Amino acid sequence: MSIFCCHKRKQLVWGCVAIFAILAGIIVFTDSVSAVEYGDMGGRPAYPRSDNPRTESIFIHTLEPGAVQEEGVLLVNNTKEQKILQVYAVDSMVSSGGAFTCRQMTEPKKDVGAWIELEKSEVTLDSGTSEIVPFAITVPQNAGVGEHNGCIVIQEKKEKVEGQTGMILSFRTGLRVAITIPGEIIRKIEIVGFTIESQKDGGYLLKPSVKNLGNVSIDADVQVVTRYFFGLMLIQHGGQFPILRGEISDWNFELKKPFWGGWYRSSFALEYGEDLGIEIGKEAGQKIRLEGPSVWFFSAPKPAALAIEIIVLLLLGFSGFLFWLSRKRKGWIRENWVEYEIKSGEDIKTLAERFDVSWKLIARTNKLQPPYALKTGEKIKVPPANK
Amino acid sequence: MHKIIRKALGKLNITIALMLAIVMAGGLGGATYVLASGTSTFGQTINAGSLATDIVDAAYASVASPSVAMNAVAFSFAYQTATGVFGTASQQIYVSNPDAADNGWTLTVAPSATTDFWDSAGTDFDFNDPTAEAGDGADTDTLGGQMTVDPSGATLAVGQCNSCVVTNITKGSSTAYNEGTTDSVTLLTAAALSDDIGNWTLQSVSISQTIPAEQPAATDYTINMVLTVTAS
Repeated sequence: MSIFCCHKRKQLVWGCVAIFAILAGIIVFTDSVSAVEYGDMGGRPAYPRSDNPRTESIFIHTLEPGAVQEEGVLLVNNTKEQKILQVYAVDSMVSSGGAFTCRQMTEPKKDVGAWIELEKSEVTLDSGTSEIVPFAITVPQNAGVGEHNGCIVIQEKKEKVEGQTGMILSFRTGLRVAITIPGEIIRKIEIVGFTIESQKDGGYLLKPSVKNLGNVSIDADVQVVTRYFFGLMLIQHGGQFPILRGEISDWNFELKKPFWGGWYRSSFALEYGEDLGIEIGKEAGQKIRLEGPSVWFFSAPKPAALAIEIIVLLLLGFSGFLFWLSRKRKGWIRENWVEYEIKSGEDIKTLAERFDVSWKLIARTNKLQPPYALKTGEKIKVPPANK
Repeated sequence: MHKIIRKALGKLNITIALMLAIVMAGGLGGATYVLASGTSTFGQTINAGSLATDIVDAAYASVASPSVAMNAVAFSFAYQTATGVFGTASQQIYVSNPDAADNGWTLTVAPSATTDFWDSAGTDFDFNDPTAEAGDGADTDTLGGQMTVDPSGATLAVGQCNSCVVTNITKGSSTAYNEGTTDSVTLLTAAALSDDIGNWTLQSVSISQTIPAEQPAATDYTINMVLTVTAS
């Protein structure tokens, strides 16, 4: 009977373990497949050149007036549904802050958008498939020297949803088409300014601004370095950004409120290649460095930093007070303690009791060493008699 | 002897139960177990991805018909300002870069045409007229009103990509549309050193729109906006 009971109990325990294992397995495995994988659709250059890695992302060509360049755009549909993708060429434009973007399909084409002729304007792609759409770039005879930009845009064709109001959104992917017409190339940037704006959350926006005075875009390394008052670096912001021909570019680098507070100095500098013959995406030759202005600003410390700073200040103040007190007492002892000759039977303890001071103070003042033995007739300093 | 056999059988049951539990757990959880012998050749193709932008929900599923609803305002004899938020927890602005734009990209928002306006069955109003107090200015239409987009206070975060960072991606400044001068507003600019493979979400982009005085009450005001991500 007892064996039967024990066996039953074991079965119950292992049953529970099995149920737990099942539930744990379901949770673990189910969780691992519950995240939705976003499936992108759009396009990318179909024929990137091995000599310029940038051509994997955008179309780059140097073409003489009248030249024709064959190209292709790879349209991809990595979503789980069949998609109808529109593909079209437009001119480029400058968005706020000098950023590169593409004009809308409805806008008239005057530059590179008008030079491009695509073999197809619409492609139906099944899930997980892709297709190359060839196109030709024909540069007009009167194309001016320098860089011209346009876009190949890929956008899903969607039916209008009836009854939808407010701001209705559609989405598209643009691929820059940068065509450089050879001739007298000018590469020049000037610094427009550098400002710092306070934010509501206590942080700061560091806003450098530059202008491209040349006739080609320039990939410039923008650097904003923020230092503590004594020169130690707090943080560096920046990166390489394209600055489009003839345009002003500005950036907003976010600086979180510094923990310690105090005076800080942000400096702005910029570097770009000076080689006139260089193609977008390639780096060679010397770099030109432009130093921009430095801006000082004061940031109040965060509450935790303020508390720490107050505690440290209090500790420093108290230590200073103790140090001052100790100096003052030493001075008083030096001026007021008198010489005393040790009599027979006296030791440091009896002297301390007699003059009502600590025996340690007597030992310290007279630089006595352990075991602090005093010889009869020895002269030491003691407090004045009235003390 | 009898006891030993009984114990062994008991242990065997336990082992079988555990194996069954693991197999069932895997089966119910969607995992696949393959028992195979001999030599097999495994083939795998990963399709090239594309730089893309979209509006996704909290689980990163594409939202079928996304829109931005501006806060309702009451009819007014004076011009007024309506506000809205572009990018919420359930409709996040999303950018995906699966190694398709290694030297940076920009995310911008613009109307589908510079001559667009807030369209209604009744009286329309403009989105890109800088005239004071939502008046009509010298642009091509005869409508007043201006929209301002402010991404500077928005929240930029990493999406599903665990190893990605928001470093080297900057948010744009508060900008008002102005026909022929500012036709597109930059939401994000990614530098060349931003992650080549990554995805990001943007929430809480502030939108404000001045509405002309005596603009008729209506619920059907609509404008078509295009979110463009461009490899630059």
